[in-house]
Amino acid sequence: MSRALLIQLARLGDLVQSLPVLTALQSAKPERPLDLLCPSPLVALGQLFPCVDRVYPWYGEQWHELARTKMTDCDQQLAQATRYLAEYAFPAYSMAYNLNNHPRGMLAAHVLSGLVVGPGEYGPMNQRLPAWAGYLRQIAQDRGGNRVHLADAFCGMCQVLPPLDVPYLKAPEVPLTSGLGLPVNGESSTFIGIVLGAGDAERRVPLSVWQVLIAACAEYIPQSYLLLIGGEGEREAALALEHRLPAKYLNRVVNGCGRTSLPQLVALLNRCQWVVGSDTGPLHLGAMCGARAIGWYFSRARVHETGPYGVGHYVWQHDQGRPGEILDGCELRTEESSVAHWPVMETVNLIRDEGVNSRTDEWDLWISNKDEWGAFYTRDGLLDEAVLHRKDTWEALSQLANQDIRMEVSK
Amino acid sequence: MDVLKKNIDILRDQDPILAAQILQVPGGTLSIQPAKSGMPTAVVNSRYLHSAYDPVREAASWAEERVKDCQAGETIVLLGVGLLYHVEALRQMLPHDQHMMVVVPDLSEFADCVSVRSLEGWGERVMWLTGSITDMAIQVTQKAKRVRILSYDPAATVHYDIYEHFRLQLRDHLAQRLSGALHIMVIGPIYGGSLPIARYVVNALEGLGHRVSWVDHSPHYAGYQNLDTIRDHRLRLTVQQRMSETLAVISLAHVAEDPPDLVLALSQAPLTMAVLEQMRRKKVLTAMWFVENFRHLTYWQQMVSGYDFWFVMQQAACLDAFRKAGAKQVSYLPLAADPAIHQPMAITQEARYEFGADVSFLGAGYRNRRQILPSLVGQGWTFKLWGNEWENPGPLAQVLQRGGARIDTPTSMKIFNATSVNINLHSYTGNGFDPEGDGVNPRTFELASCGAFQVVDARTLLPALFDESMMAVINSPDQLLPTVQTFLHEPARRLAMAELSRKRVLEAHTYRHRMKTFLGAVGMASPDRLGAILQGDRQAESLVARSGQSPELIPMLKEFLPTDRVELVDVAKNIRKKGPEARLNREELLILMMDEYRQEKRDFL
Repeated sequence: MSRALLIQLARLGDLVQSLPVLTALQSAKPERPLDLLCPSPLVALGQLFPCVDRVYPWYGEQWHELARTKMTDCDQQLAQATRYLAEYAFPAYSMAYNLNNHPRGMLAAHVLSGLVVGPGEYGPMNQRLPAWAGYLRQIAQDRGGNRVHLADAFCGMCQVLPPLDVPYLKAPEVPLTSGLGLPVNGESSTFIGIVLGAGDAERRVPLSVWQVLIAACAEYIPQSYLLLIGGEGEREAALALEHRLPAKYLNRVVNGCGRTSLPQLVALLNRCQWVVGSDTGPLHLGAMCGARAIGWYFSRARVHETGPYGVGHYVWQHDQGRPGEILDGCELRTEESSVAHWPVMETVNLIRDEGVNSRTDEWDLWISNKDEWGAFYTRDGLLDEAVLHRKDTWEALSQLANQDIRMEVSK
Repeated sequence: MDVLKKNIDILRDQDPILAAQILQVPGGTLSIQPAKSGMPTAVVNSRYLHSAYDPVREAASWAEERVKDCQAGETIVLLGVGLLYHVEALRQMLPHDQHMMVVVPDLSEFADCVSVRSLEGWGERVMWLTGSITDMAIQVTQKAKRVRILSYDPAATVHYDIYEHFRLQLRDHLAQRLSGALHIMVIGPIYGGSLPIARYVVNALEGLGHRVSWVDHSPHYAGYQNLDTIRDHRLRLTVQQRMSETLAVISLAHVAEDPPDLVLALSQAPLTMAVLEQMRRKKVLTAMWFVENFRHLTYWQQMVSGYDFWFVMQQAACLDAFRKAGAKQVSYLPLAADPAIHQPMAITQEARYEFGADVSFLGAGYRNRRQILPSLVGQGWTFKLWGNEWENPGPLAQVLQRGGARIDTPTSMKIFNATSVNINLHSYTGNGFDPEGDGVNPRTFELASCGAFQVVDARTLLPALFDESMMAVINSPDQLLPTVQTFLHEPARRLAMAELSRKRVLEAHTYRHRMKTFLGAVGMASPDRLGAILQGDRQAESLVARSGQSPELIPMLKEFLPTDRVELVDVAKNIRKKGPEARLNREELLILMMDEYRQEKRDFL
């Protein structure tokens, strides 16, 4: 039986944003097993994706070590690389879908399959990009009025329409580290995940802001519990945050930073009704786990490309009142963020389901929706021209796509 | 007796002459005693060569540690005999086909050993090296391609001098047959005496066919000098320190951009311990040629653990001091001359007027020179004094040239060549001659290389480099004047001696010689890395011959000249030349993949 492989060698956020395309591909060809190649630290998450058959790890460090060694000659290096690949016993793939626009992804795709879709489909050394990959590069450079979500652009890159339903990651049965169980007291509680860290320093929200948000949640949302989410790198910050909080709120906070594996995090996020954070992997993961996400998008984060995928998520886009480039008629800063006012109470009010003003001096509120062309965000519930233009984009890019590979449609 | 007889039979099969010699020697070198375990142990000069408790177990632990380093294809050369427990243990742990040689410096000790310890079952697979040091070194060179030397120190210490001599001989023999090219990054100082030496080293290494990247920090000198405008002493030192640290990071960036096989730093090179540590983490081997008097400049003590290899221009006390301070490998490497620069030259009449003299001295105004040189003033000959740092010259003011300006190398050559008697006094911060004077300064070699006659103060290491038929050696300051007077009147003798000194330089004391020695030493100390490359293992023809593991590589390798050094990057470059439309096979794709990761440098700094 022919098998297909999807290659995503980027970080957590990109892997989570790849779940829609994996879902769509599997739905389009349910009889064809679909495997995933992802960075080794993310394998445990990939294994939770319901649409994926097998997950293979990509050990970047091992390749780096092998390539940089001065100890061995090229003959031995090649032999080691061959052995390394053989150890993973990759099956023969009839097709490799590559989502990474860098040589490693392209080369990996060609090593593992004779037919490549996505960057590298014209050859492993051919810099010519397929239509969708070229489109993504262009919007990354021009930052125009694009409204096609990154997760949907991945679908386009793989010649498949977005999935009909928003993918969902259900909670695996994994034991949680002691002290990480969210309280169960019989009353209706609100669990809120707070994503403390971010891979890029410029996307980190100051600790003092989180402190204010946590206090406000505890104060204004009855029976609310706050789960601090982050990796090893956030462990110290989380402890400092706990230290700063008034004692009366401490029993409302569960510190999960550096204490969860990815499956454990998925299990915890499945219990959260809300997840709040900047444009980071755990925020997107929370959205895929069924929580409603509230993103604070500043610095280079753009709601229309990487807003939490699905329906009913909110994004506060920091975009007003400063010189910068134009995003849908609003100016967007591209330099390092210097936010004066954070939408703390506005976020609390959203969780309380109270009306908020969709525009502040610095922030715009966007709400996510979904149709056959994928996810999109609107302001004040208005469908503007750019949203409608997505259909044209899909049609135009499909025309340009490699006609040797037929567009697949979710069933 | 039974053990000896059986051992002799074993040895006779390997080397009948050795077997016969063993029966002739009286023995009695080792005092054999029973260890607590019941096995025999040995004592020499009241020191145990093996454990007094359990020599077998001790040898096993020693061998377990060493065997980790041994690589396939290497010949293991073992120093230290004793009762051979360590040899047996290592032999049993090594693959059956791996060659092993034991250097036997003393047949009497060996005879004692084979009288009590059986060679059966392992001794047949050991080659016993005996004879003169030179013979033993030649045997190793002839029979082994890649050599790893291991020393069992408790037994080796008994014959320390012999083994040291053996190492040097072997190094020099191995250096003669090096054919492979390394990529060596030479890191020089911002300024000072080691700066021209860095240039000579670069020339020599290039001349030997190696790829050299020179990180030349001298363009930063103007900026460094400009820091003198900071008047506060402590502030200035701090800023100078920071600047040096920045230059160290610049050096690291060069290493990251084009990683060398080996970094060779000259003394005063601005490298910090943090940067050296990072190089070690990135598996870049580092060496320092410390061309300074270790007693005067002592910063090496803080840097000693930072380099993998140290080379110094002094012996004995210097080597001991470095080893005690924690140097992993330290070797004597004297200075030299570059005959392309330090050479005889025709002097025009005009130049002779400016630079010529009966007697000249070129150098900085150290205390001993200020004290000794005035005796040459006001004699019945012309005397010229050249060089800087001669503030308040006193009686030397009348002979000081160019107002005490720094003299560059081309001018130095003119002075040396236009002078009848060149005075060469080694610097010393006390009066008279340095009582501990051992290392020989570069000027000695440079004057000799120019074919210029010199009167030089005695150094303990000088006789091994030049003899008294080549230059006039004085043992005390009061010999200076009469020696100069004598030789001024003997031009033919001066000429003959100077020619001999130049001949000696060309035979043995050029930077090319030094770099061969240097590479022999690092290759011997690192047989699986530098040694293998130096022996041509990375050349295309050698790779083709060994491409058993990846025959698909052979056509790619055949695109290179047989003697080209080929690395992954070179193969990848050729693959990329095929152009964007090319279809690549799996091996080509894997090579490009590794090359992509090779180019990743973000974690270097």
